[in-house]
Order: sequence, then C-alpha cells, then structure tokens
Amino acid sequence: MRQIIYGNLKLFLCLLFFPGTLVIAQETLTGKTINESTGEVVPFVNVIEKGTSNGTMSDDLGNFSITVNSLPTTLVFSFVGYETQELRVTNTSPFTVSFVESAAALEEVVITGLATSIKRSNSANAVSSISAKELVGTTTPPTLDGALYGKFPGAIVSANSGAPGGGLSVKLRGATSLQGNTQPLYIIDGVYIDNSSIPAGLNIVSAAAGQGSSSNQDNPSNRIADINPEDIANIEILKGASTAAIYGSRAAAGVIIITTKRGAAGQTRYNFSQSLGWTEVINLLGVRDYNEERVRTSFGEAAVQDFIQARDQNRLIDYEKELFGEKGLISITNFNTSGGSESTRYFASVTHNNEDGIVANTGYEKISFRVNLDHKANDFIKFGLSTNYVNSTSDRGFFNNDNTGTSMGVALTGTVPWLQLFPDENGNYPDNPLGASNILQTRDLVVNKEKVDRLIMGGSANLDIFKTEKSGLELILRGGVDYYGYNTIAFFPKELQFQKPANGGQNGVSVQGTTTNKNYNLSAFLVHNYFTDNGINFRTQAGLTNEFFDQNQFLLAATDLVASETNVDQATNTGIDQLRIKQEDAGFFVQEEVNFQDKVIATIGLRGDKSSNNGDANELFYYPKASVAVNLNEFDFWNQESVLNQFKIRAAYGEAGNFPPPAALFTSFDNFTNVGIDGTLKGISLRGVLGNPDLKFERQKEFETGIDFGLFKNRITGSLTYYIKEVDDLILNSVKEPSSGFGTQFVNGGSLENKGVEIGLNAVLFRNRNFNWDLGINFFKNESEITRLDVPAFNVGAFGATLGTFRIEEGKSATQLVGIGPNPGPNGLQVFGDSEPDFQMAFNNSLRYKGLELSFLWQWKQGGDNVNLTALLTDLSGTSHDFDTVDLDPTGQVGNGPFRISQLGSSAEVFIEDASYLRLRELGLYYNIPLSLSDRIFNGTIQRIRVGFSGTNLINIFDYNSYDPEVSNFGGQAIFNAVEVTPFPSSKRYLFKAEFNF
Amino acid sequence: MKILYKILVIMTIGIFTASCDVEEFSDLNGPEVDGLVEDLGRGDLADLVGGVFFSMRAGLGTYYDDVGVIGREFYRFSSSDPRFTADLLGRENAVLDNNTFYITTPWAARYRTVKNINIILNALDNSTADFTPQEISATKGFLNTIKAYELLLNLNLVHENGIRIDVNDPNNLGPFVSRPEALTAIRSLMEEAASDLASGGDSFPFNFTAGFVGFTTPAEFLQVNKALSARVAAYQMDYPAVLNFLEDSFMDLSGDLDKSVYYVFSEDQTDLVNPVFFPENASAAGVRIVQPNFITDAEQGDTRVAEKTSLRNETITFDGLSGDYDFFVYKSRTDDIPIIRNAELILLYAEANIVINPSEAVEALNIIRNAASLPDYSGPVTQDALEAEMLNQRRYELYGEGHRWIDARRFGILNTLPIDRPGDDVFTQFPIPLTENQ
Repeated sequence: MRQIIYGNLKLFLCLLFFPGTLVIAQETLTGKTINESTGEVVPFVNVIEKGTSNGTMSDDLGNFSITVNSLPTTLVFSFVGYETQELRVTNTSPFTVSFVESAAALEEVVITGLATSIKRSNSANAVSSISAKELVGTTTPPTLDGALYGKFPGAIVSANSGAPGGGLSVKLRGATSLQGNTQPLYIIDGVYIDNSSIPAGLNIVSAAAGQGSSSNQDNPSNRIADINPEDIANIEILKGASTAAIYGSRAAAGVIIITTKRGAAGQTRYNFSQSLGWTEVINLLGVRDYNEERVRTSFGEAAVQDFIQARDQNRLIDYEKELFGEKGLISITNFNTSGGSESTRYFASVTHNNEDGIVANTGYEKISFRVNLDHKANDFIKFGLSTNYVNSTSDRGFFNNDNTGTSMGVALTGTVPWLQLFPDENGNYPDNPLGASNILQTRDLVVNKEKVDRLIMGGSANLDIFKTEKSGLELILRGGVDYYGYNTIAFFPKELQFQKPANGGQNGVSVQGTTTNKNYNLSAFLVHNYFTDNGINFRTQAGLTNEFFDQNQFLLAATDLVASETNVDQATNTGIDQLRIKQEDAGFFVQEEVNFQDKVIATIGLRGDKSSNNGDANELFYYPKASVAVNLNEFDFWNQESVLNQFKIRAAYGEAGNFPPPAALFTSFDNFTNVGIDGTLKGISLRGVLGNPDLKFERQKEFETGIDFGLFKNRITGSLTYYIKEVDDLILNSVKEPSSGFGTQFVNGGSLENKGVEIGLNAVLFRNRNFNWDLGINFFKNESEITRLDVPAFNVGAFGATLGTFRIEEGKSATQLVGIGPNPGPNGLQVFGDSEPDFQMAFNNSLRYKGLELSFLWQWKQGGDNVNLTALLTDLSGTSHDFDTVDLDPTGQVGNGPFRISQLGSSAEVFIEDASYLRLRELGLYYNIPLSLSDRIFNGTIQRIRVGFSGTNLINIFDYNSYDPEVSNFGGQAIFNAVEVTPFPSSKRYLFKAEFNF
Repeated sequence: MKILYKILVIMTIGIFTASCDVEEFSDLNGPEVDGLVEDLGRGDLADLVGGVFFSMRAGLGTYYDDVGVIGREFYRFSSSDPRFTADLLGRENAVLDNNTFYITTPWAARYRTVKNINIILNALDNSTADFTPQEISATKGFLNTIKAYELLLNLNLVHENGIRIDVNDPNNLGPFVSRPEALTAIRSLMEEAASDLASGGDSFPFNFTAGFVGFTTPAEFLQVNKALSARVAAYQMDYPAVLNFLEDSFMDLSGDLDKSVYYVFSEDQTDLVNPVFFPENASAAGVRIVQPNFITDAEQGDTRVAEKTSLRNETITFDGLSGDYDFFVYKSRTDDIPIIRNAELILLYAEANIVINPSEAVEALNIIRNAASLPDYSGPVTQDALEAEMLNQRRYELYGEGHRWIDARRFGILNTLPIDRPGDDVFTQFPIPLTENQ
C-alpha cells in the first residue's frame, strides 16, 4: 500500500518538476583525476554536476564517467585532503583533472547532528578530526588511543603505565568532572563502545588498596585498546558540550566518533603490510654508585662483606637493567581488501599484532577481523553493516603500588647489586634476603593475563522517503551491539618467595576474573531537507535514541593452592566477588539547521534524556545547543582575490551531562564472612557510602567561539578557538565525618570552570612536483577553577598531605597539588604545583621528495606536576641512583637520598616534580618504490610498494627524576592521576615496514 | 521490498515505544539498608551481627601499629610506606598528620562498627518479628558492650582531643566531648549494657564467632562486659570500681592467663587475616622489629621475651633503625588476637590494689611473674615501686596487645620511652581526623 503511494508520489513529483527530463538527449563525459604535483592517480574522487544531485566517483585508477543532461555544464571534483576543483565542460572529449593537496582538509565533513554532518568550512565548532593518514601514516601504534597523542589541540592523552596492551586516559579540554566519569564516550560506526578498565584482582596479593587508598591500583588496560587503528578511516573529536550536546547525558567528557574504512566501487584492491621491530625502555635510572662506606651506612656491616665479595668476584648486577632491559619484538601484519559494485561494496581486513614488552614475560597479542558492507538496494534504500571481531591477550606483569613489597617495581627498590637472585641449574630461585620478593622469580613465574573476545556490530538503513530537487525526507535507522567476554588470570604459584607459608605467604594465589559486557543502542531519525529558490537550505532532523548497558563482573580468588593448580577449585580458600552494572537510557533529539548560501549557517537543537541512573528514572533532562557560523569570504563585499581567501567567525553553545556513579544512590551493605563457632559466619557491614537518592546529573555548559581562516588559496589555514565551560551540580564524593560511620556521600556540591585556547595552524611550506613540505602546529592551554564549593575544601587522590595530594578548594585550580610544608597557608597546607600543564604544543612535519616521505611529530608539554614517590621508596632502601648526588639540598650538605628522607614528614615539596617534556612522539621515513622498478620485478601485478622505518618516542627530553613524566598510578579513572609509584617504565618503538598494494 | 519497508516501519515504531519507559534498577551489588531495617527478621539480625564481628576487626592492624610503634614496643618497616618510621616516630620535624591512614583508617573503622550497631539497635525497636523481650534485651546488651569498646579504642588514639559519643544521625552528629566525659559515657553505656544482659534470658538470637567460646550466653557475656568495664574504670583511676567490676568479670587468679575473648581470622577470601602477623626474617618490605630495649630491659629468665619475639638470621636496618628480633606475638596469618585477657584482669587487680591493698597487689603481680618463670617480686612495697613493677609486668605480659603507650601516658612516663634517633619524638595523642571538620 505505502509502496504504491510512494511510487506514485515519486512519479508525480518527477513529472511535476522535470517534465522535459525524458526527452532530452544525454551526454557522457569521461576523464581521469591526478595529483598535480606528483602526477599520480588520485582515486575515488567525487564528481558532481554542479547544482544537481547527479554525481559519480572516479575508480581506483582515477577514471570516471558521468552522464549529464546537456552541455555545457560545470563539474565539481572533490576529495578529502585536496582542494575542490570546478571545471566547465563544453564537449565530450576526455580530459584530466589535476588536484592540489590542500593544507587543511577544509572540504571534509564534520558531524553536527546525530544523523547529519556538515562541510568543515561551514561548521560553527572546532571539531577536530584525524584522518587515517595522520593516525597511522607515520607509525603504527599498538593501540588506538596511543595514536591520538599530539594530533589535535584540546586533548591530554596520557599513558598510565608502559605495560604492553595499553592503559591510557584521554582528557578533553581539561577536567570535566571531579569524581564522575572523565573519559570520553567512544562511538564506532554508530555503536557505543565500552571502555572499562576491569581489575584482575592483584590487590589480593599487593594490598595496594589497603592503606587508606581505596582506589584500584591494579592498572588494567582499557578496552578501547581492542580497536585496530589500521581499520580507521577517520576520527572526529567532540571536545565539549557545545558540540557534544547531541549525545546528551553521556557526553560531558567529550565524544570520540570513529568511522572505519569502507569499500569503494571498482576494481578489487588488496593491501598487505608487515611491520617488524622492537621496543625498548626509554631510559633507565641507573644504579647507585656504591662503595664500602656507603654500603656500611645504608645497609650495615654485614652487607659490606657481601658487597666486597660480589665486587671482587665481579658479580655486581644491575637488576634494573636485568628487569627492564629487554628488547621486545614487535610484529604487525595487516591485510585488507576492498571493492565491489555500484550497489554492493565491501571492506575486509585482518590484523595480527604481536608485541613483547621490555620486561620478559610481558606482551600483547591481538587478532582483529573486520568486514564492512554497504548495499544500495535501489536508489532510495541503503544498508550498511560493520562487523569487527577482536581477540586480544595481554601479559602485563606484576607492577605498580603495593603494600606488601612484592610487585616487581616496589621489590626492585630494595634489590641491591650484590644480591644473587638467579635460579640454580634446577630452576630454583633463591629468596631475596633483603626484600619480600625475588624480582626475577616474580617476573618469571607470576602470570597477570587479560584476554578479550569481542564482537562489535553496527548496522544502518537509510531510506529516502521522498526526494525532489528542492526537498527530501530521509529515514535513518541505526543499531549496534558491543559484546565482549573478558577473562583475567592472576596466578601466583606457591614456590614464589612471598607465597611460601614460611614467609607469611598464602601458599599460592589464583584469581580468575570473568566479565561479560553487552551494550546495545538503537536510534531512528528523520531528516528533512528543503532548499529555497534563493539558496537557503533548511535541514530538520528529529529522532529517538535508546541505549542499554549491562556488565557483569566475577572475580574468583583462591588461596592455598593444591599443587600449584591454576583452577580455582584446587585450593583451600576461595572467594567470589560479583559486580553488576546496568543502565538504560532513552531520549530524543531535534535539530534545525539553516544555511544561507554558505554565508551564514545557524543551528539550534535540543536533546532530552532519561536514565535508570537517576533518582527518578523517567524524568527527562534537556540539553540544548545553538551555534552560528559566518563565512565572511562568501559575502559579495569580500574581495575574492584577497590573500585572505577564507575567513569564518563562529560561536556555539551547548549543554551536556554526566551520570552519577551507579552506587551513589544507595546506602548498602557488603557481604563478609567470619570464622564462627560452627563453621563460617556470614555478615554484612556498611559499605561506607551514604546513599543520596536525590543526586542529579552533572551539567556542563560550554560556550566556544573562534575564527577559521585560509591564506594564499588555503596554503596556510588556521583555526583559533576560545572556550569556556562550566560544570554545575558537580558530583562530589563529599567526605562525611567518619564518626558518622560513613566515609563519603555523593552530593551535587559545586561548580567547576575550564577556560582555554586552542590554536591549529597548517601550512604548505613548500610545494612543487618533486618536493613538498607541510607543517602543522597545534597549541592548547586550559585553566580550571573551582568556582563554587558547597562542601568544605578537601584533599583527594595520591597518598595524603605528607607526600603531596590534590586539594579541591573554592577559587583554586581543580588540579592543584598541596602538601605539608614550611610556609603553610591558613589551612595548614602549602601549594606546590598543579598537574595541569601550562600549555601543550605539537609540531607535525611532513616532507616528501619524489618517492621519499619523511614525517615527524614533536610533542611539547610545558608544566604540569606529578607526585613522584618512586625516588623516595628507593631512598628508604638506600638504592636511589642519585642517593649521593648533592643537588637538592639548598645548603649543599647532604645527598639527594638523605635529603628527601629528611623532608618526609616536614615538607612534601621535594616529592612534587615538574613533569614537562619534549618528545619526538612519532617519526616515519618511507620510500615509495617507483612503479617502473616494481613493474619490472613484479611484472605489473603490484601497484605500489612502500618500505620504511618508523619510531615512537625516539627522543625524550625531560628533567624529571624517573623513567617518564607521563605516568599514572591510578589508571584512567579520575583526574587525580598524576602520581607515580614504581611504574612499568615506558618504552620507545622502532618499526620497519613494507606495504604492498595490488 | 515491500516486506523490508514494513520491517523498517515496525522497527521505527518499536523504537518509539521502547523509548517511552526506562527501567529503574535497585542496588545490584548489595543489600540496601532501608530494605533490611524496615522490618528486621531473625536471619537479618544474625547477618547484621555477623557484620559487626567482621567490622570490629577492620583497620585493626593500623591500630596496633599506631600504639605499638609510638609506645616503642616495635618498629614497623614498610618499604612502600615511609610514614611508619617517619611520622609515627616523629623523625626530625615529622608530626602526626590529621589526614593520613594511621589515624583515619582505624578511626573510621571503629565508627563504622558503631554505625553497624546503631542500625541494628534502631531496627530492633521497629521489628515486628517474634523476638522475645529477653532476646531484645540480650542483643542490646551485647551490642552496646561492643559499641562502648569501639569508642574506647578511638579515645585511646586521640586521648585528650576527645571523641563523639552521639553519632546516630549522620547528618546531625553530636559534639566532641572531652576525655573524662567520654570515659563517663563509655562506662555508663557499659553499665546499661550490663543491666540489659542481666535481663537477657538464656541465649542470644544470633551466633558468635569462635573467638567468644565460653561467653556465648547473656550471663557469660556479662563477664566480658564487666572485664571491659574494669579497664574503663582503671583509665578513670576509679580503683574501687575496678575491683567491683573485676569481681563480676571472668578474672580467675588461678586460671589460664590466656582466657579471653578474641578477634579471630581466617584466609577465606571475604574474611580478614591477622593483620599483626609477619613471618620470621621478613624483609623491610613489611616487618615488625622489636624495639631493642625490650630485649635488653628484660629480667633475666623472663620466658615471655622468647615467646613473643624471634631472633633474626641477620640484623635488619631501615631508615636509620636497626633490630635483631622479629615481633612474633602472633605465629600465623590466622592467629587470634585477644580483646581482653585474664592476664590483663589480674594486672588490673594488682593496679587497683596498689593503694587499696598492697599485699594483694604483690600477690597478683607474682601470679604474672611466676607464669613467666620469674621469682616472686622482691622489691619494696611502696606505691611508686609497685606501680613501676606493675607497669613493667604489663609491658612484658601485654606486649604487642596495644597497651604500652596508653599505660605510659596514664602514668606520665612517656618521657621514659626510648628515643632511637636524634630528633625523634614520642607523641601523646593523635589529632582528630581532618574530615571531622573540628
């Protein structure tokens, strides 16, 4: 029925508007698209007959063919990364279109609504986007988030540890929440992606959460690491509420929208690449310069004899090098193929990553399969399907803070060179007489493994309900599911020094974790387009969204193992922990965009959301947005020949939310057991969080404004953005007086403001047929302030005021670091720093000479302090590399070691260190073997061969007393993570890569 | 085609409908308080009291380290936490911080137990379950005894800074009261509990841990209440009352000195292990080392030294402190820790009698001495000498059980505790935790 009406309607409209269509003879135009400077083919260029919706795309060899109604006509050629060309065609003879690479990809599209995007030159927001080339073109990163460093302004990406398999936090435009979620929302091909970090239960051995710090210090990887960077076509980053409002109550920390590669019609294409290389530690701290006197003072008389003996037998061992000195082999293999017909296109890829860490028995392995399909059923229905299966395994070693002296990092602090820790010929390791753990034994025998099996599927259907010259109505349906099973094994066999009962051990520990995670989301949109006769475009969209999140974590812990069996039932004591997280959100979204001849583009929109995470699950919360962009260069008064060929002024406002943590609403008990008279007694004891059923969302309001400009026909383009964002109803885990029996209560208790500037500049410094030099610079500065605080100022994060801690205080930066000190303020604490950097800059150079490509990315972080406790822990064991160096003591009397110890308890200043750095984040040098040569060898079967070398973190300049200023003991959970406690050192990577297109 | 279109329409409608209502979830990961206390059942009471037994032991390791290290009974070395040897011993300029785990952890843990107890006490009043008046009385008596004891432990840490007694309403907490007022309140809570226990019938409506064997009826548990009351009265220097309380306690001058109620531990994954145990010859990663004077000050032949300490294979040095002996009062991860022992009761009996009946004091001291293979006391029978002897016997008999620092403070001899490094200080009391907003 409907179909019939629809068909009739279409026919009717056709007849109404194009009465002559059927009778006019058509002309076919053909040609080829090439790169002006290299003469190489530019494939897959969009070709559109200007002023119509008639278009096609050039094939992989740059050939195109388009049928037009009449001549002469104007064709518009556009391709991401190149300047758009307009060509007037008067006859049907084949012609060649030469493309010029544009400095900034102004013609790319950026997202504006849940179902729509807009040309970048018309965008009112500073949406950053990263192309595949920028993402993985220079070097192949191990994980997706690791590829974001320095690629766009407004983000602070930091690794939590150097352990293989990731573990990064991404902070967009400063601190967006103090105790809520601070990690952006990831959406891949329309699917909401889970990015949890799920601990493996190491705490049972490390007891890191024992001494007053309840934070998880297991340091698991985060699940965005599963996504294969080489599958990605494009990433868009919505940095704040002014753009992210379309995602409503999940979007306060920003949204990262990832689009994966899709097939193009034409010849089937194959791409194979293989990278081989290695990873090694960025730097080692070194060993203290021991002599007899120093050994005597620090370790006593008995140790002196051991020291002399070892020295004389020439067996003083650098255990730091022994532990972190490995070169880990890296192999990355990627094969992808794409192609298809006009109606059905596909992209398929398979990737295998295998990386060893800088510590023996650590590593990361990932296999990823992807199939993306697009099908055009007819000229009004399109389907898209994205599927991705990932299997990854990471061996992360036993690192980070612990209170039992057993993790390798902490144990290393007490390991001196004259110890003998190597196993005998039977493989038996001696106990470390000076510490709880023999690091070599721990390294070789402890298992800390994470395994993931993940399936991500997204589907979409686009239906043109009607489409005419002047207007159109489109229905867009999307759905996606992200499902994974995550298994962890933490195994501590009973022969470990710290597991032996004689040493107080638990006689073997096996902890197995199983998590299943299922997210699914559905949405439906209607998009209506209407063009008036004088070139005004009204675009209206309305839709509904629905998201479900369901995570179920089990942790089974067994101690006192039977014969070192890993099965958790082969043990005397077992315990189970279960954690369930469930959430359902539903909402609607409406938006109206008005585009007046590309001169003025205005948008207004509203999202409404409800969530099971609110006190009242069915209350709707509204998030408005509005924006306007004015392209001055499009107006008639603008001199089109001006040097300043593009100039846009833009402003945008939007609001977004952030959920309360799930447990915040309830006052609940936890379960425990005791040994009772007749067996085990169970008991329930308060969790320590006083529930607050009235808790509301955090609400972020962001205003951003800026200009975009292009000079010399866009040879230089720039973007300048200022933003101010305020977070109201800040969710604070407000400290309750402990005598109430509760430690904390979540309240809406304050406001936080971030102000910042982002500058992006791209320039083509040099360009001719043989040589190109492009430079991209970005600059980012953010400042935060707690503008209102309804609860008393409080310390948070790290390990207390003695060692330096964060402090939330009205009128102060949200990330200030304070501690006890000689000149305390009225609150008894002195301010020693701030973890927020003064600014960040990145310099991205891309040079090409004939077939030779060189690109490198420098990243400079200025300022931003860390609480560095690694040095102190080595001082207390007398093993610091700079123990005897005298450069900290202002009086020049004592060595750094004794000086730091002397400050303990009187001042935290010495533990708070500047964490600035300048590093060569990425370097790539590639050679494209000329076709003439490859043709001769491969007989024309290979279209392109590219070989080269790349590296990550090759040059690192910093004045910070540890392995790397970029570190976090507290994972990616909160903003209070600039704390270092004997971490897994970070590493540099060297890769050799060969890539074949055929 | 037609079918596809229909499917799309149906899907759209489906989404529109599904969007209308969002499911509301309760706490998925633990029982909510409101649900439990609305109408307390028998099973609920047993679970809640089980929770009290659990939480009584939380943070206990830190408590013993606090009083043991400041009382110069032992050093606590931790290569991952320097504050045990810096702050607690007052190294150089170090002072006790009011927002560091050594005070915040045990303080919060004790009040957590108090809150667990208060929730049960309030729920008992609302319960419609078939508890008999005796059972309610017995339960109140037990809970208030434990509550008073928990408050006493916090008072021990902050001493003259005082504690809160009334903490029933988390949003409207009672004031901090001075130490004498707090002791009075604790004692009257003990006395209220005693009268409840006395009218508590024959049995409790819940089970006990294995640490309470012999004290699991209201009448038996009353003896524990009296023993703890005797300790409170001694802190008040109310010696006639001490003797009265001891009379009704489980004190047995000729009985086992270790007769006691205990904290018990197990390796079950949701249980706790003995937090004051380290194996012999542990490294500086985590170890308690006997303060050397404890060895050198001991009387010749005192068997308690060998029982409670263990000679290390090698001297251990950390942060300028050295020792040859491991603290070895507890021998395994599941060893019990006494809450109050017969030995302490006998020593309280001696203490109370020093003025009232010195010869009885000497008798009591000799029971303790003889048990340690020491001869009868032969010193002068003066108040000063007997006090010194009593304190010395408490030092050795109750070593590592959390008394030395408090005893030295009670008798004004903190200045006699050994100073191991120049610049170290012996602190009198912990500050009130910062988060109490005092």
